[in-house]
Amino acid sequence: MSRFVGPSIRLALPLVAVLVFAILLIFSLQRMFEVERDMRVEAEQNMLWVFHQSEVTALRLIETVALAELGQTGPDELALRFDLLASRVALLNDGPQRRFLEHVGLDEDLDSLGASLDRIALNIETFTPDQATVLRQDLTPLARFFGRAANTSMIAEWDDLGGRLETYRDQLGQIILSLIGIMIAGGILTVTLFASLHQSRQKNRMLWRERDFSGLLISSSGEGIIAIDSAGECTLWNGAISSIVGIPAEKALGRAPADIAGFFDMSTIRQALSEALEGQTSSLSFQPFFSPDSERPLYLDVSFFPMRNEAEIVGAIVFMHDASDRYAAQQKDAQDRDRLEELVAERTQDLDSALKRERSAADLYRNFAAMVSHQFRTPLAVADSALQRLIRRGPHADIDEVAERAGRARNAISGLTRLVDSTLDAARLDAGQVGARRTQYDLTEIIQAVCARQRDAAPERPIKINLDTSAAPTAFCDPAHVEQVIENLLSNADKYAPAGTLVSVSLNGNAKNLFCDVHNIAAPIPAHDQEKIFERNQRGANSAGVAGTGIGLFMARALARMQDGEVTLQPSKNGITFRLTLPRYTPGAS
Amino acid sequence: MLKRAIGVITCWLLFTGNAMADESDRILEITGLITDGSVTLDRNAVHDFPLTTIETSTVVTDGIHSFTGVLMRDLLELLQSTGETVTAIALNEYAVDIPITDFYDYDVVVAYKMDGETLTRDDKGPLWIVYPRDDHQALQDIRFDYRWVWQLYRLDIK
Repeated sequence: MSRFVGPSIRLALPLVAVLVFAILLIFSLQRMFEVERDMRVEAEQNMLWVFHQSEVTALRLIETVALAELGQTGPDELALRFDLLASRVALLNDGPQRRFLEHVGLDEDLDSLGASLDRIALNIETFTPDQATVLRQDLTPLARFFGRAANTSMIAEWDDLGGRLETYRDQLGQIILSLIGIMIAGGILTVTLFASLHQSRQKNRMLWRERDFSGLLISSSGEGIIAIDSAGECTLWNGAISSIVGIPAEKALGRAPADIAGFFDMSTIRQALSEALEGQTSSLSFQPFFSPDSERPLYLDVSFFPMRNEAEIVGAIVFMHDASDRYAAQQKDAQDRDRLEELVAERTQDLDSALKRERSAADLYRNFAAMVSHQFRTPLAVADSALQRLIRRGPHADIDEVAERAGRARNAISGLTRLVDSTLDAARLDAGQVGARRTQYDLTEIIQAVCARQRDAAPERPIKINLDTSAAPTAFCDPAHVEQVIENLLSNADKYAPAGTLVSVSLNGNAKNLFCDVHNIAAPIPAHDQEKIFERNQRGANSAGVAGTGIGLFMARALARMQDGEVTLQPSKNGITFRLTLPRYTPGAS
Repeated sequence: MLKRAIGVITCWLLFTGNAMADESDRILEITGLITDGSVTLDRNAVHDFPLTTIETSTVVTDGIHSFTGVLMRDLLELLQSTGETVTAIALNEYAVDIPITDFYDYDVVVAYKMDGETLTRDDKGPLWIVYPRDDHQALQDIRFDYRWVWQLYRLDIK
């Protein structure tokens, strides 16, 4: 608050002083004009002298009358003296003199004396010595009147003079006081003038210092600084901007930025600049600047600010900073982050597959019993039936038949052994402990062996084998797994086909894969069941009343996939066809 | 002091030839530093000078009056005066010293007519020194007012 009171008091004092100065000056001038006017008016009146002269003239006439009575002077002299007296009376009756007489109250006396003048004139004209006494008696009141009038006028004039002097004194006194006041006001003005001169000089010095300092700051700043006036022309171009842009200040000053360098002609920069001239602040990051000297662009951070004077916008100021290093660091950060993300995704995938393997292993073990009961039943049944026949035949059996029957049982048992090994291997494989033991193998062998076993297990079922022999039926596979898959598919076909209908197994292929299709006559599987049947513990809608564990197709597909193969349901017009796909063996593959 | 009887002086009219003036008409006597030492002019001689009329107010009358007479400087030049001061003396012996420069600075007139009427001895006549008071601010001053000699009868040049 005191900051605002201070200047107003400092301003009020000289203002009051000027006001007092002016008032006193006008007052004293007015007084002086009055004195001057008073000194002109009435200064000419000198009635005391007029009456004195008149008295002398009257006395001289009386004297001349006396001399004439004695005969010592003539009528001419008498006439002259009378004329002079008459002229005096005439003078007194004239304008100003008459008014004075009226003022002092002697006018009536003069009138009555003036009336006697005609009689005197007559006596003078026809003068005889014996008239002298009467003439003198007539003239004496005139002389006496003039003497008295001189006396009165002396007093009146002195009164007037005294009064006037008193007025002058008063007026002069007032003028003197006014002049003293004027001097004081002038003194105050002088002091305030010197004070404000001193102050303004100090402020000036401070401003220059600040200006020099600002100049130093701007020129030594590492940031590029450009100032633009309201006409859009460059008024400041510091050393840092010169080295960034490569254009010296002499070439930049007084020109529009867009004309100085193409960088400023970019639409973003132009827009930010015009917004700054309208009062908006803005910043742009990593603006590429292509210097003619270097191939790689500089990346600049550019800030735009309006410059204001009070409320008016007088221009804009632009700060530019070379942010190339920061830009490069940011780019590197982004790359690192991308790489890290990739790595994490990779690891996550690894972990996921490990987890999945872990889960399927656990599932395998969990379902081991089920598998055993399902997969092992067929070979056990084969061995059992061979041995039963042997027992039934007893002594009737010849040696060949015993050998044949025992051989069949042994085959079934050895198949069972392979199955156990393979299942355990598969379990280990699921647990990530063992890979499939893949090798080149002739699929026809496996097919014929499996079909033979199936015929043994279910002799009443006709099985037809179609082998396409145009190409080598060699697959890259684990034969134990493949045997198990085909056995599964075949036993399924047998299980679900109506009694007596044909089950066919055919082998064909293309350039890359071999296909083993197992076909049987059956009602088609509904579309919504077609994928479900491959899931663990799922059975098709048509499986009602048929013994099963719901693991066969799941196992078949899992085993096929383990060796880059696949088990799929093929579209078929008449019945159901499952296809085992296995890669052909190509030399060089491991 | 002056008595008509004493003024036994011949008036030489400088420009109309010398002629004896009528004693009763002698109205101005000039003495001192002039070519002829002493000259007395009668009414006709004065009237023969070039006329000048000025209009002015006076301090002893009201209003503005016209005064007709002879310019003082004309008079002094014709008399070939070499002095610097003129002592003007009235019939009642009132005497004032007037610097001759006055007559060159201002059109000072020795008037014998006021408002067309001849000045008489029982008023301010026969001659009255009149300054052009209204034409010059400087003349409105008591130090000039006392130089207005009326009933003038003699000029003494020093």
